Amino acid sequence: MNVIDSAWVIARRDFLALVFSRFFIIFLLAPLLLFGFSIFFSMATRAQDRAAAQPVVAMIVDGPTADALAQTRQRLTANTSEQTFPTLRVVAPAENLAAQAQNLLADEKGNYSAVLSGTLERPVLTGPRGSSDFVGRRMQLLVDESRRTAALDQARAAPAAQPLERVVTEQAVGSLHSSRRALAQGAQVLIFMITLMLATLLLSTLVEEKSNKIIEVLAASVPLDAIFLGKLMAMLGISLVGLALWVGMLGIGLTLFFQLVSGLVALPQIDPAVGWPVFVLLLLLYYTANYMLLGALFLGIGAQASNIREIQTISMPVTMLQLMVLLLAFMTVGSAGGLLYWTGLVFPFSSPMSMIAMAAQSPSLWPHLPALAWQALWVFIIIRLSSRMFQKTVLKSSAGGGSIFSFRRKAAAKG
Amino acid sequence: MSAGLAIEAKGLLKSFDGKPAVRGIDIAVPQGSIYGILGPNGAGKTTTLRMLLGIIEPDAGTRSLLGHERPLEAARMVGYLPEERGLYPAMKTREAIAFMGALRGLPLDTGRKRAEILLRENGLGDYVDKPIKSLSKGMAQTIQLFGTIVHKPKLIVLDEPFSGLDAINQGRLEHLIRDEAAAGTTIIFSTHVIHHAERLCERIAIIAAGQIRFEGLVSEARDRLRPHVRLKTRASDGKWRAALPADAALRDGHWDFELPKGGVEPLLKALMEGNAGIEELSVERPGLHDAFVAIAGEAAAREMEEAEFGEAVR
Repeated sequence: MNVIDSAWVIARRDFLALVFSRFFIIFLLAPLLLFGFSIFFSMATRAQDRAAAQPVVAMIVDGPTADALAQTRQRLTANTSEQTFPTLRVVAPAENLAAQAQNLLADEKGNYSAVLSGTLERPVLTGPRGSSDFVGRRMQLLVDESRRTAALDQARAAPAAQPLERVVTEQAVGSLHSSRRALAQGAQVLIFMITLMLATLLLSTLVEEKSNKIIEVLAASVPLDAIFLGKLMAMLGISLVGLALWVGMLGIGLTLFFQLVSGLVALPQIDPAVGWPVFVLLLLLYYTANYMLLGALFLGIGAQASNIREIQTISMPVTMLQLMVLLLAFMTVGSAGGLLYWTGLVFPFSSPMSMIAMAAQSPSLWPHLPALAWQALWVFIIIRLSSRMFQKTVLKSSAGGGSIFSFRRKAAAKG
Repeated sequence: MSAGLAIEAKGLLKSFDGKPAVRGIDIAVPQGSIYGILGPNGAGKTTTLRMLLGIIEPDAGTRSLLGHERPLEAARMVGYLPEERGLYPAMKTREAIAFMGALRGLPLDTGRKRAEILLRENGLGDYVDKPIKSLSKGMAQTIQLFGTIVHKPKLIVLDEPFSGLDAINQGRLEHLIRDEAAAGTTIIFSTHVIHHAERLCERIAIIAAGQIRFEGLVSEARDRLRPHVRLKTRASDGKWRAALPADAALRDGHWDFELPKGGVEPLLKALMEGNAGIEELSVERPGLHDAFVAIAGEAAAREMEEAEFGEAVR
């Protein structure tokens, strides 16, 4: 049997063993549950967070001033957002204004960031300045706008009510670049997340064979390269099953969501530079390449471990390594040159994620061919190195000499 | 490879962490024979088999398996039962056997059919769809043995195949080995239990401390020792005593000594002419155990006996 046939036997066994294990359902549902819980908790806590983060200004001013400022704020937030200006709260004046302002700023319940007193002509804002002086600058805007409105009212001059004329186009370069950058990073994160989820599985995949002593039977029957390749293929199959389910569920969820909100909000128009069909194909190819590259590495590292405790010890550095690779790939988004850009493209482990970012941003197709070939070469190199290391350190055997590229024809024995 | 040899190895050397495990082993296993590798624990039997199968590479020396210098090239024609048995616990018995066959190039469907036949023929038909984890240790070992032969190999390599089996299953295994050999399959197995080798093998290799101490026919190993004479006489002394060798010893009223080179007839004649009054006289051919003691040494033999006893206790 050749390496591929042997790998297929191993892959088939591993794939079926995992798919028919009771833990596979948990594996499939875990990301969906995680995703669901994240959305639920983020929605539940968002309103609270916003309320807590919104600065509140106490207004110790006369009635007309308070009304003018409140109306101005209402008019401006209608076209921006509620968070653009501090919340204004009217407080009845006390005898000693200075002391009242100090008391309000110290009031735990009131949660005031500043106190506004005086009139529109002579307003006084009491409170800390803060690093960005957000409250001071926004209150100045409100006061200025209120004064202008009051002046126009006094002059009985109505402001020009001519609406902004809109000429609607399909796309603008600025927003196109920005949406493609978002798509590039989204694709990178997707590849990263799925590979991250499978990292521990990959690390521990040979432990079963070692603890059950099956490795001896396998090693006597098929080349070690085939064992490693077969295990990678099985896990790739598992991940693709998971991916199909997760993406399918996500697609259904998003379709339903967008149907619900399509009348309420304008949906972002995202169009990858290479077009959607090619982009999806490249996403699959680069996911496979990324998975195979990191998978071969993790399988090789995990093969050195003899039990689950050792696997757990290795897991943390492996996750850190993945994060560093993701950061390197992030550096290539929106960039078109420089040392980090080229390192991200050429370094085998970051190459798939960097290249999918390129597919989102650049219409050139030819760079993907050498990139995929380069990544495939590294998969081959890592599998060979991993199996040789396994043979040397675990099976305690010298690896048989020759470079990792040396092959003697494996004649199919007739039997 | 020399014609008619299933396995041929010359000068195999292997060290682990600088400590020599096998020091220059030569083996020649004729096709269609049952070949035993005898030796105490740690003698280098498993390391030798693993080198022959290509699981580990020798530091030096050459080996050829069914004519292939790279053992994995002959994998389809070889069956291997390792000393440390291993199966996937969740796998069903039929699938486990078929999987092991598939590793050796047997199509899965054929493997499943043959597995079912093997299980039914051996009274394990009720276990076809049972997971390995539900079987006893001995039964799981039998399943692995079926996995070793399901693809009908030309060469079967068994590392300590009898260990862990009860007497009945040991008998079944001996039967299976004989059947396979009768069908033309070459069988090589390692063991530290001498009587298995004595009953089954035509040729043996005795290994001790990583070296071959003897390689050849079982009869040749036995012939290294002279037959043993046990004699009881009515007369306690007389001229007949001159016919006994100098190292003849009297134990419990019996004389024990090696048969003199001249054979039985001159001895018998001298005893009769010397009026020894023969009450009992027996000439015993030495067993493989005696040959092993003589070849590998008392210490190695004691070690093997202890290992065998320990296994029986377990």
